[in-house]
Amino acid sequence: MWNTDSTIMNADNPIISIQKVHKFFGTFKALDDVSLTVNAGQKVVVLGPSGSGKSTLLRTINRLETISSGSIIVDGQDVNDPGSDINRIRAEVGMVFQSFNLFRHKSVLDNLTLAPIKLKKEPRDQAEHHAMKLLEKVGMVDKAESYPVQLSGGQQQRVAIARALAMNPKIMLFDEPTSALDPEMIGEVLDVMVTLAREGMTMVVVTHEMGFAREVADSVVFMDEGKILEIAPPNRFFDHPVHERSRRFLEQIL
Amino acid sequence: MRDKPVVIEVGDGAAIPDPRDEGLFTAWRISFFGTLAIIAYLVVFRPDPYLDIIKFLPDGIVVTFQVTFASIALALVLGLIAGLGRISKNTFFNLAASTYIEVVRGIPLLVQLFYIYFALGHLVRVPDMVAAIVAMGFCYGAYMGEVFRAGILSIDTGQTEASLSLGFNRSQTMRYVVLPQAWRTILPPVGNEFIALLKDTSLVSILAVSDILRRGREFASESFLYFETYTMIALIYLVITLILSKILSNVEHRLNHYERR
Ligand SMILES: Nc1ncnc2c1ncn2[C@@H]1O[C@H](COP(=O)(O)OP(=O)(O)OP(=O)(O)O)[C@@H](O)[C@H]1O
Ligand SMILES: [Mg+2]
Repeated sequence: MWNTDSTIMNADNPIISIQKVHKFFGTFKALDDVSLTVNAGQKVVVLGPSGSGKSTLLRTINRLETISSGSIIVDGQDVNDPGSDINRIRAEVGMVFQSFNLFRHKSVLDNLTLAPIKLKKEPRDQAEHHAMKLLEKVGMVDKAESYPVQLSGGQQQRVAIARALAMNPKIMLFDEPTSALDPEMIGEVLDVMVTLAREGMTMVVVTHEMGFAREVADSVVFMDEGKILEIAPPNRFFDHPVHERSRRFLEQIL
Repeated sequence: MRDKPVVIEVGDGAAIPDPRDEGLFTAWRISFFGTLAIIAYLVVFRPDPYLDIIKFLPDGIVVTFQVTFASIALALVLGLIAGLGRISKNTFFNLAASTYIEVVRGIPLLVQLFYIYFALGHLVRVPDMVAAIVAMGFCYGAYMGEVFRAGILSIDTGQTEASLSLGFNRSQTMRYVVLPQAWRTILPPVGNEFIALLKDTSLVSILAVSDILRRGREFASESFLYFETYTMIALIYLVITLILSKILSNVEHRLNHYERR
């Protein structure tokens, strides 16, 4: 690993600890000896060209992908240990997808309350009260009774963020949350994410929004061909990228 | 997100009319009111023998419906289990479901009926009606299994991933997220299977179950009025299946409400 940022490696309070992770799809190596630690409250932005393993890395954190070797500890629990309760870990880790994935048969409000009611056994009125507060936060109160198909992409993604927050997660994972959006809707989603970051949420974000990375990230992780090539604070990464591949990537994208 | 083609095998049930199919003359209306008109004509102008025939049949209609509803209930349960088995990663469960479907689909329904009724009835004595229901349900469960499997697979994996990421386990995900959505894809072919099954219950008349057809055969064999009796039976099956297909298309239409803007 190159130029590892000290604030991450000297972490005394890691909430995510990824150690020497390898991941194969058949014979294809999607993750190659990846190690990364994230402290509580930190915002990490993952960058890299298409196919570099960004989504795969993100999805191993809540075990939507299993790993071939290595270890991932989230909030003190080994994600891949058969003895740990993966559903409980997942409830602590919110995830936002590129394609929103709102439950199409449920209203916006029911999308938010389904998990708290069924999993946390919250009474319906309490769950709805909490849900309405979250909808207020993402500016979607007036659409509470709408169905996902009735919403624009930006609106769906804001609801999806609120749905993940309804479980009071300690960590939020974002996999290219704005990539499927029309340009004029990107801002409304990024605004919500910035607000969330300001409130101290631990966030791991895969994105191509360099403005967001500069403004919000504590550190930028650059991946290529399944490897983490560089971890650095955004200013240093964008202004003085160390690795040759980082430089080429930035030239292409900026 | 829903643009991948969804292929579902359709049984040989009556065609389900499209509710948006406007206009005065639809195939359904022509068949339905035409059939009613013929029955009315026969009963009013030729009460002997048609009125006698129609009076003889109601008990049989009740039995046909009893067999149909009980068999479909059994078939839905077996079909859900078989469908889940076919998509399961558990090798045993998967193989058991696939084998069940292969075997059942390879044997004619009539042979299965005879087998369960006579061969197994020889070992365990059960009421005729129960044997008929078990045989029909067992057979249609295999067809239903494929319908459930296709319906479940038609739901985007993103829905499952979103559910898992919230902390739902696999079966909760199936129950709260996938199946409620799969119903829309599953309902039309299930409706077709239902109608096909209702028609196939006429096979149980060969066993000692007094459904519409068996009642008719009894009437015909005493009166020797074969033509008249079977005409009336055909008309009555037709009225029933036409009513059912109408109900099903309306239910289907309502179930789609959340997909429309
Ligand atoms: N389920 C899978 N089976 C086989 N190969 C896979 C699978 N998922 C991902 N891959 C491969 O692993 C590599 C990394 O994929 P990944 O989705 O993590 O890339 P990414 O960095 O997120 O790319 P993008 O920016 O296009 O989203 C790619 O080459 C991809 O083809
Ligand atoms: Mg990706």
